[in-house]
Amino acid sequence: MKPNWQAFATLLLSALAFSGTTDAVEGGLVHTNAIRTIDLRSLPAVTEQIGVVVQNVRDSKAIKTFTVYIPHTKADRLAKVTVHERKSGAELQVSKMDNEHLKTPLSPQPIEYRATFLQPLQPGEKISLNIDCVYLNTIEPRPKVVEQTGDQTWLWKDDARLLWAYPIHKEKTVVRTNGEIKSYSQIKESSKDGKSVTFGPFIGGESPNAPVEVRFRDNREQLEAMTHRREYFVSHWSNDLNILEHYALRNRAPALDAFDKVKQTMSRFMKARDNFVKTLLVKVPADAREMYVVDEIGNVSTSSVTSRQRLNGDAFKVMQLKPRYPLAGQWNYTWWHGYSVPLSNYLRVNRNHHALRVPFIGSIVGSASQNEEIPLTAINTYNTAVSKYELRITLPEGATNVDVRVPFDVDSIRQRPQSYYFDSSGRTVVVVEHANVAPSAVDAHVLVTYDYSMLSLWQKPLVIAFVVFALFALTSLGSRMQLGLAAKPALTAKKTQ
Amino acid sequence: MKVLGLSAVDQTRLLRICILGLISIVAIGSRLYSVLRFESVIHEFDPWFNYRTTKYLVHHGFEKFWNWFDESAWYPLGRVVGGTLYPGIMVTSAAIYNALHALNIPVDIRNVCVFLAPGFSALTAIATYQLGKEVKNETAGLLAAAFMGVAPGYISRSVAGSYDNEGIAIFLLVLTFWLWLRAVRVGSAMSAAVCALSYFYMVSAWGGYVFIINLIPLHVCVLLAMGRFSNRLYVAYSTFYALGTLASMQIPFVGFQPTFTSEHMAALGAFGLIQVVAAAYYVRARVTAVQFRTFVACAAVLVAALLACVLVVLSMRGAVAPWTGRFYSLWDTAYAKVHIPIIASVSEHQPTAWPNFFFDLNVLIWLFPAGIYFSFRELSDNHVFLILYSVFAAYFAGVMVRLILTLTPIVCVLAGVAVANVFEAYLSHSPGPGVAQVPRAAIMGALLFLLCSFQWHSSWITSTAYSSPSVVLASRGPDGSHHIIDDFREAYYWLRRNTEPHERVLSWWDYGYQLAGMADRPTLVDNNTWNNTHIATVGRIMASDEDTAYDLARRHDVDYVLVVFGAMLGYSGDDINKFLWMIRIAQGVYPNDVREQDFFNSAGEYAIGDTASKAMRESLLHKLCYYRFGDVMGAQAFDRVRKQRLPSSVTLHNFEEAYTTENWMVRIYRVKDLDNLGRSHKNAAQFDST
Repeated sequence: MKPNWQAFATLLLSALAFSGTTDAVEGGLVHTNAIRTIDLRSLPAVTEQIGVVVQNVRDSKAIKTFTVYIPHTKADRLAKVTVHERKSGAELQVSKMDNEHLKTPLSPQPIEYRATFLQPLQPGEKISLNIDCVYLNTIEPRPKVVEQTGDQTWLWKDDARLLWAYPIHKEKTVVRTNGEIKSYSQIKESSKDGKSVTFGPFIGGESPNAPVEVRFRDNREQLEAMTHRREYFVSHWSNDLNILEHYALRNRAPALDAFDKVKQTMSRFMKARDNFVKTLLVKVPADAREMYVVDEIGNVSTSSVTSRQRLNGDAFKVMQLKPRYPLAGQWNYTWWHGYSVPLSNYLRVNRNHHALRVPFIGSIVGSASQNEEIPLTAINTYNTAVSKYELRITLPEGATNVDVRVPFDVDSIRQRPQSYYFDSSGRTVVVVEHANVAPSAVDAHVLVTYDYSMLSLWQKPLVIAFVVFALFALTSLGSRMQLGLAAKPALTAKKTQ
Repeated sequence: MKVLGLSAVDQTRLLRICILGLISIVAIGSRLYSVLRFESVIHEFDPWFNYRTTKYLVHHGFEKFWNWFDESAWYPLGRVVGGTLYPGIMVTSAAIYNALHALNIPVDIRNVCVFLAPGFSALTAIATYQLGKEVKNETAGLLAAAFMGVAPGYISRSVAGSYDNEGIAIFLLVLTFWLWLRAVRVGSAMSAAVCALSYFYMVSAWGGYVFIINLIPLHVCVLLAMGRFSNRLYVAYSTFYALGTLASMQIPFVGFQPTFTSEHMAALGAFGLIQVVAAAYYVRARVTAVQFRTFVACAAVLVAALLACVLVVLSMRGAVAPWTGRFYSLWDTAYAKVHIPIIASVSEHQPTAWPNFFFDLNVLIWLFPAGIYFSFRELSDNHVFLILYSVFAAYFAGVMVRLILTLTPIVCVLAGVAVANVFEAYLSHSPGPGVAQVPRAAIMGALLFLLCSFQWHSSWITSTAYSSPSVVLASRGPDGSHHIIDDFREAYYWLRRNTEPHERVLSWWDYGYQLAGMADRPTLVDNNTWNNTHIATVGRIMASDEDTAYDLARRHDVDYVLVVFGAMLGYSGDDINKFLWMIRIAQGVYPNDVREQDFFNSAGEYAIGDTASKAMRESLLHKLCYYRFGDVMGAQAFDRVRKQRLPSSVTLHNFEEAYTTENWMVRIYRVKDLDNLGRSHKNAAQFDST
């Protein structure tokens, strides 16, 4: 019999992988107590806060770092991980460990994040930490299909035992929701209190797996931006910063069992609720101008914009976009909108040195309200999660020494050349890509610094002037040239009658 | 007197260039109403096909475009797009697009398409100037160009967004005629070759090239009959015909047609005739009169016998194609109505009502005969052409509404000639007392008033009648506010985003191109009405009762059915009003299954309410339109288009509502899957409810 080399290799590889993880984690720590609070009150973002007490049980050596595991099943929905000291509130530095090479189909590895203690943890010492994780779009509607005006019921599903890198003595999970709890897993350790459910406490190594779920009602809107692209165009000539946002949006609500136009008309007339998202609100700066909304087949003419508004000392305008059709559960809509703002509000100039500071991302709020005018406070709600995000910043032609700074880790930052409007040498486009944008990124800013000289500013007019002049010169030359052998006969003279 | 250091001749030349520039600006500007009122959007039906193919050309390149087989049209037959279209307009747009992108101007292909026709209208004005200058002088040219720039008859087909073949074809028509007249006058092979090139471009752009290839030979024949043979004519026509025909055969859609179809035979005959006449002239110059007479008699008999033999042989072998239906309907206006309902059902194929002439041409319509009169007075070779063009174009314009388009250029040129003659008579410098100038001033004032009123009329017509995209509708509220009714795009975009890309949509053929362009979904029939049977099948599905329709729809893999319904808004161009044409077309193919008289009630009325005939009430289209409409309008409600009571109950079992737009104008139904237990949907519903 021939040895099955492939199976052998896989076995070897997985064995290696297993030894790899055990090696990577420094031993000597235990978690004495952990409380995980899962906040389902601002869906589609799910916030998990894990309060954990970490103790160094070694005899002599101080420990500098500690490892947090994110299960592979949730890893691709993870938006953010932060670790704080509970007492001082100081943030610990967290870095993602690269264990891609250990992944095999047979043994999917959890994602490792390594946090560094502010001071090394001395033997016998305990410390309380808060680990905050944000996940997007992990909650699915159950049932998947409801009536047009039916309630939306959602299912949260996870393991009540967390995946730890170190031994755990005691842990418990609390799930907080915003609506009535329809059902939850009836295990020994579960209990319900109003809108929250507790699983645990679990002691030590007993019941290593405890898959649990909670079904709850939440009729608020939830949308997913499957792709979102924000583009900035910098124009020094017109002191103009043009912003363009492309969206591919999906309503996460349960799907319709059957579309019913009569019922839809009636509920609009009665101002009764239904699951259609009818308006999309976009907050734009108060000095925004030249706004437009377009999709692949033309203008979306049903949109409007409010006058300048003020809320908590923040001045802005709100674009009320009406999609071509109201978005029922699981329906998609794709469009782009744009506007201009004065560049000088975003650009610092120091001789040739320019610093452009712009928001990392813009937010959008979906509303199922039947009202024509949506209340102003709705603009600060979070209900649209961005799964794939791309930021493009197009700098003017001639910008050099481009440097980009984003206040948190992103998946990729690159620069590529591009030519627009009569460019002769092309310009630089900064492209930032990021998957699963955390809700807190709305307040973040990107800083792009670049050098741009006076000569670059005049480059384009000079090139165009030269080309036009050259064309005139050529035409002039051409008209003075005698191409035929004989002198040109005057055509009109030959006109026969 | 010198101004700006220019001589008087240079001054007038500069002035002419400026005037032409202004005319171009006015021509482009007056076509932009639709963009200002609505947006930069492709209009109507056929332009959506042109736009879609242009996008394909831009994104996939010429090679792929040429060989494109579109399996999403005419499901399940498909369409060989590359071989069944006139590629001129797409290639033009793609060339402009690529040129702009080469200059790093990132313009959208949609904007190139939208603004192509206005751009070409400026070129048309310039070509008309050249034509006017060719037949009269610069003054006539400028007047003709000014008329051409704003004449509503041409604007109707060339507003921004009206991305159709005519948009560039009228320019090419005028250009070809100008080059032809120039070639005949000068007698240069070079001019005739350029004319053939322009003709080739025209062939690639529009089926209306047939008009050119019949009119030019006719001009030649009439000149020969008038005894005006000249070597100039011989050189011009021989060059033009040989080159032009060879070039036109390069377009796959035309192919070998110039060698065998009846539409092209006149050109071939004229080519043969001019060779014979040229030979005769050659011989006559070298023999005596008596010998020549014998020669002519013998030759005539020989040639006639030869031609007759060839014709008989070709006809017997079927090589010469019979006349096509659309061509018949040009001569006999009642022909289409009786024999080919699919042609008669198109509104632009209807005979022209006489007010249309005034509507589209205004004062030009009475300057036109004056121009013809002046042409007769001069009657050079060029003027013979103008007269022929006027007579034929006027006739065709009377037969089919849309052919006013081909009449417009000649009307503009002849009106220009007429006005130029008036100017000549009344604006010449003649010394005389002040009193003698009064009649002159009065006549010039009156003429000026008329010209101004023409401009006024044109702008008004353009803005009110010809600037609606018909994809987007507008209405005015009681307070004068502007409302946009965007139901079509709402439905199409819903289909585009919320159905699977392979799912088939059945609708009447009018919406086929729009569905392909905006919803990007396969359709069964579209505006390229090449397969009458397929269209009749769709008509039959619409006219059958629900169970038959369900069976047929499932057999054709239909996933969605789309109907247009205007009863909520009072939109009269809806499917119920088109229903009789669907029935007639279906009846032509399935006379046993669909009968027109079944759809009229006992009183002979085309009713839709409770008094409607049984066939009407049971037909799929009626059900899909009125399904649950009464529930929202109330029990006593009226259909706002037909001003009739709504039917009191409409049941539907085999189809389910998938989407209905804001104003109920477009309703989309999903064809249900077969029942799991093999019951009919009606039985299943009854069972479920008990």
